[in-house]
Amino acid sequence: MIDNSKRDVKFKVFRFNRDSDYLPYYKEYNIEVSQDDVMLDILNKIKWEFDGSFSYRRSCRHGICGSCSIKVNDKSTLACKDRVFDLIDLFGEELIIDPQSKKRAAKDLIIDKKDFWDKYNSVTPYLVADIEERPEEENLVTPYEYEMLDEADICIQCGGCYYSCPAVEANEDYMGPAALALAMRFTKDVRDKGVEQRLKDVNQLGSGIWDCVKCMECFQACPKGVNPIGKITTLHQQTFEKEIHNDDVATRHAVGFKHSIDKHGFLDEGGLVMYSDGIFKTMTHHAPVGLKMLSKGKIVMPWNLPKSKKLDEIKKLVKISSKVKF
Amino acid sequence: MSVPIHQYDAVIVGAGLAGLAAAREIKKAGFEVCVITKLHPLRSHSGAAQGGINAALSEKDSIELHEYDTVKGSDYLGDQDAIEFMCGEAPTTIKWIEKMGAVFSRKDDGHINQRPFGGQSEPRACFAADRTGLTLLQTIYEQANREGVEFHDEWYAGDIIENNGVVSGVVAYDIRDTKVAIYNAKAIMFATGGYARSFAFNSNAMSNTGDGLSIVARHGLPLEDMEFVQFHPTGLGVNGVLISEAARGEGGQLLNSLGERFMKKYAPNKLELASRDVVSRAITQEVLAGRGVGKNKTSVHIDLRHLGAEKIMERLPELRDLALTFQGQDMIDEPIEINATAHYSMGGIPVNVAGRVRKNANELTTGFYAAGECACVSVHGANRLGANSVLEALLFGRHVGQTIMADLPTIEFIPASADSATTLQNELDGLKNSNGDERVHGIRTELQDIMTSNAGVFRTGESLEVAKAKIVELRERFKGIRIDDKSISFNTDLQEALELGHMIDYSMFIVEGAIGRKESRGAHFRDDYPTRDDENYMKHTMATMSDDGSVSTYTMDVVPGKFEPQERTY
Repeated sequence: MIDNSKRDVKFKVFRFNRDSDYLPYYKEYNIEVSQDDVMLDILNKIKWEFDGSFSYRRSCRHGICGSCSIKVNDKSTLACKDRVFDLIDLFGEELIIDPQSKKRAAKDLIIDKKDFWDKYNSVTPYLVADIEERPEEENLVTPYEYEMLDEADICIQCGGCYYSCPAVEANEDYMGPAALALAMRFTKDVRDKGVEQRLKDVNQLGSGIWDCVKCMECFQACPKGVNPIGKITTLHQQTFEKEIHNDDVATRHAVGFKHSIDKHGFLDEGGLVMYSDGIFKTMTHHAPVGLKMLSKGKIVMPWNLPKSKKLDEIKKLVKISSKVKF
Repeated sequence: MSVPIHQYDAVIVGAGLAGLAAAREIKKAGFEVCVITKLHPLRSHSGAAQGGINAALSEKDSIELHEYDTVKGSDYLGDQDAIEFMCGEAPTTIKWIEKMGAVFSRKDDGHINQRPFGGQSEPRACFAADRTGLTLLQTIYEQANREGVEFHDEWYAGDIIENNGVVSGVVAYDIRDTKVAIYNAKAIMFATGGYARSFAFNSNAMSNTGDGLSIVARHGLPLEDMEFVQFHPTGLGVNGVLISEAARGEGGQLLNSLGERFMKKYAPNKLELASRDVVSRAITQEVLAGRGVGKNKTSVHIDLRHLGAEKIMERLPELRDLALTFQGQDMIDEPIEINATAHYSMGGIPVNVAGRVRKNANELTTGFYAAGECACVSVHGANRLGANSVLEALLFGRHVGQTIMADLPTIEFIPASADSATTLQNELDGLKNSNGDERVHGIRTELQDIMTSNAGVFRTGESLEVAKAKIVELRERFKGIRIDDKSISFNTDLQEALELGHMIDYSMFIVEGAIGRKESRGAHFRDDYPTRDDENYMKHTMATMSDDGSVSTYTMDVVPGKFEPQERTY
């Protein structure tokens, strides 16, 4: 009889010790996995039964301290919460275990997280309020106001989203999804007195909310269902609501989308470029590509752009869904 | 070898609720304070607290009722001066942490919501869904960080500088490169957490290795009431991870293999909401009587289905997720297998209400303080009530911070010499160079197994003597330890060996305390002495360790108060 509760798995594990290794390498461990095993059980087994020098961070072992985030076959994984059988279903019976970020590796799965914590500290990561040291009454916060936080407060700072974010990979100045979600945890808190400053801080081009590329990796990576990209979108909206947004390529790009949908019911990509960058920059920066596209018939001229048959309905929808005026 | 000596006014070891609350107070008063932690502060185990934090806030409730419940819960071993202080300060403490940003669940009118908990006369546990510790830890860290407290994370504190009860420094090493440094200060505070990790089946983080207790004990200073380890009724059957008391607070029912709601037999009035020691014994008895469920019949069921999906998702989302992850059971559709799990340490470093560490039953140390789970004030006595632990950590942490502020101007700074690092450096070198056949994992597993089987929910003189002999054996075998990792970067192999040394030391305190206490009180239950004996044992156990690891005990009086001992029924 086949025992479905056990499976033999080959683990290829990233090994590196900055004391002695010039380059990292992979070591293979063949381990029988039980149905109830989570990835942390495997890490422990390697350390305790194969090689005591194998190192990784871990503490609570039930998904609340955020220590043990790693990557398995490039998928962000909180080792103590992801079942090995689920990973086998996704990737088969050969699993590659990596640190969150190979270039930051210090020892095996332990990485230097300085950049992550620096960005944590860059968003004024505390409630800005005058703290009464012996208050008679608590602040009154209705359940509705409490829900405005949208569970941003349950982030455990594991860094899973941050080290999965391609925008962080490409641009080391980008604050990244975790810090921005944390910013929103405070900007949507009715008790906070630092909302405007915090919004200004995350509104900077090159480091803030406009550098998110909306790829959804952070949504996929989060072990707690925080949905950082949703929080970044909320911050986008808040900058318009509070009229903190700048008139720059990023905000015009966002407005251009709405403008195009409102006008045509479709996205007019050529028009969007013009809207975002202005006519002068479009001509000087994008003309060569534009002409090439035109020659291949990839650009529809404004006078030929079709309009949606249900444009009236779409206009109504845009009106209803627009929370802010821009 | 040169050893760096850092100087501060105060140095705090541990960055959970207690350490952070103290650090914030001290820094706000203008003193230089440094917090050392072997994790990052936000990884501290305070963050794992689930169900709530107590305060008598509602109109029907009162501070006196909170005191009464706590004294009764402690099985009359709690010190009533400390309990009175804690319950009185609780409402202000809740409002203070709320003002700092804690995200509590609310009632429709905007006030902080409260839920019932075991052993409480009124719904008294303020909560944030089932992640109360997380919001408290985040909040106090955020505000301590805001004040500019200095944090040295991933530093392992391994020794103190102590001379005849005067403490003037901490010796620690940087986990990044195993380099030792001295933290020299007027005031040293320990907030190093609990010691339930020495049991095989436990709810604690892997980091909860009770280091602080053994460090203190190795200097000949006493530990108090170490035999009192709380077994929480509802740990997940597969691995002991906690299913919060909130599950029972919200209406969860315990069922045995026959489907009987067995708490009717053991606590006819309070049922599942009896005190934790009572419920844990009931569960263990059902299992021993062959009425267990699960693969090895070692668990019972908790049934939450009648709450409905909506309430479970609103109030207990984390718990549902845990049962799904580790046992593949969805509490919305089926009962969950649970068993009593070693959870909380009532005993610890003896302190007075101000948080000053005791040198013995009559004298205090100088420059040394403790708070939180590593300390024994004692507000929990022989059994802690649910949602009183995070309260104790936060409230006494802050209070001890204030004590330190007040003491600092009068404490003489004693400059440390590099020689003070020798003990820790030798310990590290010894473990690295030791070349026997023993492995950390092997010895640790044997220790945890003997503690669970012989010093667990039910104990006898005989079982405890077996445990004692085993610890003596393990201590000897530990000398022949061999670790694989000889490098300096993040040597977690070395760290686990150090931690195991600490676990062996303090486990002997648990066992000797239990041997000496020939009665049953709170969480300490002796089959051979099944009743409480106030005449002989309404006293705290104080214990000290000799160089050979043997532990001897004496007693200290309990601080009485307005509540006279009564028979304890629920």
